Amino acid sequence: MSRFAQELRLFLRQRLAVPTLALLALLAAVSVAAGVTEIRRQAETIVRIQPLQAAEEAAVSAWVSRDGDAGNAAYYTFHATWDRPSALAFAALGQRDVAPYVLRVRALALESQIHEGESYNAELALPGRFDWAFVLTFLAPLILIVLLHDLISGEREAGRLQALQAAGGRAGLWTRRAGLRLGLVFVAVAAPFVAGAAVSGAAAAEVLAVLAVASLYLLFWALVCLGVGALGRSSVANGAVLAATWVVLTLVLPALAHIAINSANPVRQGVELTLAQREAVHAGWDKPKDATLTAFFRVHPEWRDTPPVTSGFHWKWYYAFQHLGDLSVADPVRAYRRGLESRDAWTARVGLVLPAVGLQTTLHRMAGTDLAAQLAYQDRIRAFHERLRRFYYPYIFNETPFREGDFAKAPRWEEGD
Amino acid sequence: MPDLTAAEPAIDVRDLCVDRGGTPVLKNLRLSVKAGEVYALLGGNGAGKSTTLAVLMGLLRPSGGSVQVMGLDPATQADAVRRSIAYLPETVALYETLSAYENIAYFLGLSGDRPSRAEMDAALDAAGLQAGARTRRTGGFSKGMRQKVAIAMALLREVPVLLLDEPTTGLDPAAASDFNALVGGLRERGAAVLMVTHDLLGAADCADRIGFLAGGGIVEEVQADDGLDVLALHRRFGEAAAG
Repeated sequence: MSRFAQELRLFLRQRLAVPTLALLALLAAVSVAAGVTEIRRQAETIVRIQPLQAAEEAAVSAWVSRDGDAGNAAYYTFHATWDRPSALAFAALGQRDVAPYVLRVRALALESQIHEGESYNAELALPGRFDWAFVLTFLAPLILIVLLHDLISGEREAGRLQALQAAGGRAGLWTRRAGLRLGLVFVAVAAPFVAGAAVSGAAAAEVLAVLAVASLYLLFWALVCLGVGALGRSSVANGAVLAATWVVLTLVLPALAHIAINSANPVRQGVELTLAQREAVHAGWDKPKDATLTAFFRVHPEWRDTPPVTSGFHWKWYYAFQHLGDLSVADPVRAYRRGLESRDAWTARVGLVLPAVGLQTTLHRMAGTDLAAQLAYQDRIRAFHERLRRFYYPYIFNETPFREGDFAKAPRWEEGD
Repeated sequence: MPDLTAAEPAIDVRDLCVDRGGTPVLKNLRLSVKAGEVYALLGGNGAGKSTTLAVLMGLLRPSGGSVQVMGLDPATQADAVRRSIAYLPETVALYETLSAYENIAYFLGLSGDRPSRAEMDAALDAAGLQAGARTRRTGGFSKGMRQKVAIAMALLREVPVLLLDEPTTGLDPAAASDFNALVGGLRERGAAVLMVTHDLLGAADCADRIGFLAGGGIVEEVQADDGLDVLALHRRFGEAAAG
């Protein structure tokens, strides 16, 4: 039997070894199952929305086609957009847990449509979802501490240390033992992830990249355990020091950094942007039509020479003040985005010194569930919405009848959007 | 394994000085043990007996003097020295979840040895551990049984030097007598045995020479032959320890 096999047998015979590893594997498996279920639910929602969208469009089409009013077509037609999850999203849900992944937009003022969905579930947002990233970030180090805190001190306290050293067990022995424990913890965490990745259809390179990041994180904690153990204190003292280190590195410092970053980068709530835009849009009802249209033609001169607005209500005027509503919050929206990006950049910097933060940031980026992915989805929505406007405005401003066949010409949200 | 001439001692300690925390523990200690000799090093608590063993195993660096084990310096050639010695602590601590066989395989495996089951049985027979106990987990073993497992390991390793740290403490008289007989057997195999102990009677029973450690050095050394007056020696050692 090889030395490694002997170490494995010795380890597995320890009273708490197998239950501890089994607990970690179970938690990892539960987190992966929960993540896969959530992502599957999101994917199914995205699939389900498409026939519903078609059915609704047919109903609107049947009603609108009777009088061919393009304003009605643009007003009543919702256009579905969605952000399909990546194959790794199950492992690190990130923003997908709190931000919309499906948004139905109309050709009205956009920013309120984007930001009114940002009503976070505070109970979920506070501790974060119990996903694989959570298990790896917070629980796996605890299990490593349990398994490594008494690597040498336990032998000393059991009276075997001198005998082990005299028998030739020195650096190689501790390296073998620490490596074995680290390897088993890695397997307990990684095996459920690999299974989840296989179910989700993740690419091998993506899986390997995540496993490499996970192994580096676990290696960091193993080195911390060995470093504390090398100080020669008792097992109880080692355990206490390592537990305190875990609390500080994974809970206290990240929380303080979060508070500091948020204080240094004040950002308005998304719902405030919604309210600001709504107020601007609603104020449009009370403004003189000429003033609204003049302001609109300043940014869209191509519609200046279309037939003038004469009636009390006209869709041209309505869509003009909707459009101006977006422009009125353009600066706050840019500031909001810069604030979020600044917070994100600072979080990434903090991640360089706090491994728990760095790990979560990296996993969310790899899974496409980070803030950048959320903002990219918003950008795609804005681009799509611009296409909607360009599609509807000729009908509205040229007062062209909108017929049943025109619905089919409307822009469609595609995967590449 | 280093070769020694018959005249060279397996353990050779000359003017050994060790300080611990600025306090001298050993001062110019001199002792030597030849192959096929059992040397009992007696001394009171804190006299430096276990410190001497730690230096011989290369676990502690001396502050002065020279130490040779099988011609090697433990301070600079610790790994080679450890391949030449077997160490029995006062309380032999085995892995309680492993059987006697598995413990032997584990500890010997650390130095690269892989004894067969037959070789282990032969060593355990020589050490006197009952056959029925060998596959049982050692968690339920008595101190005497654990020592037998440790002796079997030493026999299997065929090391030329054995260091025994208070081996009979806590053993009942019959078990202590068995152990002393076992040490005699080690001598017959040509091993150099250094045994630190409080047990003068046991030392007289199995040792060839007895050295008394006090004040950091050997204050008296006697041949443990049949004419040894143990009671008189006990008194002299007591006086030396007190004074």
